[in-house]
Amino acid sequence: MSIVVAENCSKWYGHVLGVSDVSWKLTGGIVGLLGPNGAGKSTLIKMMGGLLRPSRGSLSVYGQSPFYDVRVRRRIGYAPEHEATWDELSALELVTAMARLSGVPAGKADKAAKDALAQMGMTGAMYRRVRGFSKGMRQRTKLATAIVHDPDFLLLDEPLTGVDPVARVDIVERIKRLGEAGKTIVVSSHVLYEIEALTSDIVVIYRGQVLAEGNVYEIRKLIDRHPHRIRVECNQPRAIAAALAAEDHVARISFERSVVVIETRDPDRCYDQIASAVIAANVAVSALSSPDNNLGAVFEYLTGDGGRR
Amino acid sequence: MSENLVPTTLSTVRTLAGVTLTRLGRGKALWIGCLFAALPIMYATGVHARHVKPAPDDLFKISLLLLALLPAMYIGASVGEELEDRTSTYLWSRPIARWAVLAGKLCALTPIVIGLIVGGWFAAIEIWTEAAPSLASCLALTAGCIAASLVAAGIATVVPKHGMALTIGYMLVDLFIGALPFSLNELSITNQANVLANLGHAPIEITTPLIAMVVVTGLWGVVSFRRVKHLES
Repeated sequence: MSIVVAENCSKWYGHVLGVSDVSWKLTGGIVGLLGPNGAGKSTLIKMMGGLLRPSRGSLSVYGQSPFYDVRVRRRIGYAPEHEATWDELSALELVTAMARLSGVPAGKADKAAKDALAQMGMTGAMYRRVRGFSKGMRQRTKLATAIVHDPDFLLLDEPLTGVDPVARVDIVERIKRLGEAGKTIVVSSHVLYEIEALTSDIVVIYRGQVLAEGNVYEIRKLIDRHPHRIRVECNQPRAIAAALAAEDHVARISFERSVVVIETRDPDRCYDQIASAVIAANVAVSALSSPDNNLGAVFEYLTGDGGRR
Repeated sequence: MSENLVPTTLSTVRTLAGVTLTRLGRGKALWIGCLFAALPIMYATGVHARHVKPAPDDLFKISLLLLALLPAMYIGASVGEELEDRTSTYLWSRPIARWAVLAGKLCALTPIVIGLIVGGWFAAIEIWTEAAPSLASCLALTAGCIAASLVAAGIATVVPKHGMALTIGYMLVDLFIGALPFSLNELSITNQANVLANLGHAPIEITTPLIAMVVVTGLWGVVSFRRVKHLES
């Protein structure tokens, strides 16, 4: 049975398009919603969470409209992207209030809140006011408000944004555990590797449309068709260029002073060959980066190339 | 999911009222409101010290002025901030009736507004005349507080960003209209509160002012509850 069914679903904010003619089904597991900022991820998540109504078409969760059906919202846990919360409350007060508002009986709300905060590693800070929390602590508290009533379906809008690398790994593990416990989870992000760390099932959304969906490796193949730029700053750029010039995956090589920029259709192979060239010619590399590591550019390429699904 | 229960409306209103009061208690607004509410008391104390002949009408006008300030400060700001700061996204995604969010805030904050304004009036009259104010004047102010609170909620749902400022503006216009010598003043909440207070102690007919107040208040109530039902976040 499909948990979410969107049929020709569109959403406008006045004249601004949020989501355009999306038809999509979600059957379960952890699904990553990937797209650059402004792509429509939050709009889609908010429609699934009952915060927005489709302007056209339909979107149902467990067969009901989440905007109008109160009971279906009992099965949904939503963690918004923004940071605003009731900052005057402690984490425990906030999560307990959310438990009560989600139908957890009064006698069980406090325990449910403590359990949810413990699941998110917030036991030590639960009596502190949210106002003084770091970004990572706020994210964990938001996640606790989303899971406190033990929902079947979780909507996590950019849960890793602004979180430091250590907290990121921890939050990823905790979200994975929720998935293993049988929850259906939709996680949005504009960073591919964040999504890859969580799931192999992704939906690529761009300019309000579902551009591609499926296994992350299939999406990667699509993305990898886009020439990937690698910028190497070193003392012998021509030595690296000479080692790679004859390779069939290299589309273009250019120079800027002590920098060589290689455009490749096989980034993994190219990185290996750069490493070999550096060792062979004893090149001193001062920086190596991928200026193309930007989903917006890749998505422009995919739409322009007709790479749709 | 262990239990597929949705909260009752009463439980939702109680939870939200509790959260609203906790947040109010930890902020500065309550103390600022107390200072405003003390204005009639300060005025009465000052006049009493100079042995001027008591004129309760003057004091009542100060209390009516507070109707323009305190409901805006508490209800207008609270509802407006909830919608503007997007903390409402936590609420709209919960299995609760949306109108219960407004009801929770009104249940928590309207008694505070009543307590401050009527309490200030009561204390000021006690100081000035050394006698308790009439029951009619207290009930009239209470009705005015409820009406102004609903006006504030309505305005804040329509224009959340400027909920407080616009409510103050509306209530100042209401005071102005109430002072006009023709029938337009029937639409004024403060004028009807003044009529109901019956400070002249002449026999009055209370049905018309009550109906007028209920109609104006009801309109704003409908606006706020309908608006919140269809709000998207």
